[in-house]
Amino acid sequence: MADLPSYPGAPRWVKVSAIVVAVLVLLGVAMIVTGVGGPHGPWRHMSGNDIPPTGVTEGTRGGQAPLEAGNR
Amino acid sequence: MTLSPRLRKSTLTVHVISSVGLLGAVAAFLILAVAGLVGRDAQTVRAAYTANGLTAWFLIVPLSYAALLTGIIQSLGTKWGLFRHYWVLAKLLLTVLAVIVLLLQMEGITYLAGVAAETTFSDADLIGLRRSIGLHAAGGVLVLLATTILSVCKPRGMTRYGWRKQNEARAALAP
Repeated sequence: MADLPSYPGAPRWVKVSAIVVAVLVLLGVAMIVTGVGGPHGPWRHMSGNDIPPTGVTEGTRGGQAPLEAGNR
Repeated sequence: MTLSPRLRKSTLTVHVISSVGLLGAVAAFLILAVAGLVGRDAQTVRAAYTANGLTAWFLIVPLSYAALLTGIIQSLGTKWGLFRHYWVLAKLLLTVLAVIVLLLQMEGITYLAGVAAETTFSDADLIGLRRSIGLHAAGGVLVLLATTILSVCKPRGMTRYGWRKQNEARAALAP
C-alpha cells in the first residue's frame, strides 16, 4: 500500500483564530490576576453590599433612594 | 454511524431552529440586561430582570442543550464527523464553552430575578452582578454569531485526525 500523503497543516483561519483566542484568554487571566476583573466565579460580582440584608424592606436597600415608578 | 436521510433532515431542522433561536433569545436577554442597567424607571428595571430570569430558564437553557445535542448528533451521523473538520470542532468548543458559562451565570440570573420580584432596585444595588450579566450576554451573542457564521461558511480545513481518516478510506477503496 502506498504511503498516505502528508498532512498539509491547519489552514490560516484556524491559526489566526487560535492566536485571537489565546490573546483573549491571556487578557482574561491577566484581568483576574491583577484584580481588574474582580474576583471570578458565579458570585464574584456580589460584594457584601450587593447581598441584601435579611428583613430589608422595599425602597430601603443600599442606603439610596430607590428608583420610583415613573421617576424619569 | 450514518443517519437515514429522514432522521438527518429532522435533526438538522431542530438544530437550525434551536441554534438560531438561541441567538435570538440571548440577543433579547442582552437588550433586557441593558434596559435593567440603564433604566431609570423602577418598574422597567424590575420587569427586565424578571423577564431575564424567565427567558434564561425557559428559553436559553433548553435551546442551548438542544443546539448542543442536535449538533453532536448531526456531526456524528453525517460525513462531517465531530473531530474531522476544524469548523465543526470550533463550533463544538464554542457551544460547550457558551453552555458552561451560561450554567455558571444561572445562579446570579435567578438571584437577580428573585430580588427584582420582591424589591425595588436603587442605582447601585447589585450593580456588579447586573453588569456581569450584561457583559456575559454580549459575549454570548458574539460567540453564537461566530458559530452561525461557521455553519454557513463551513471554512475549509481538516484536522490531522480527519485527514488520516479520509486517506485511510480512500486507500481502502483503491483497487
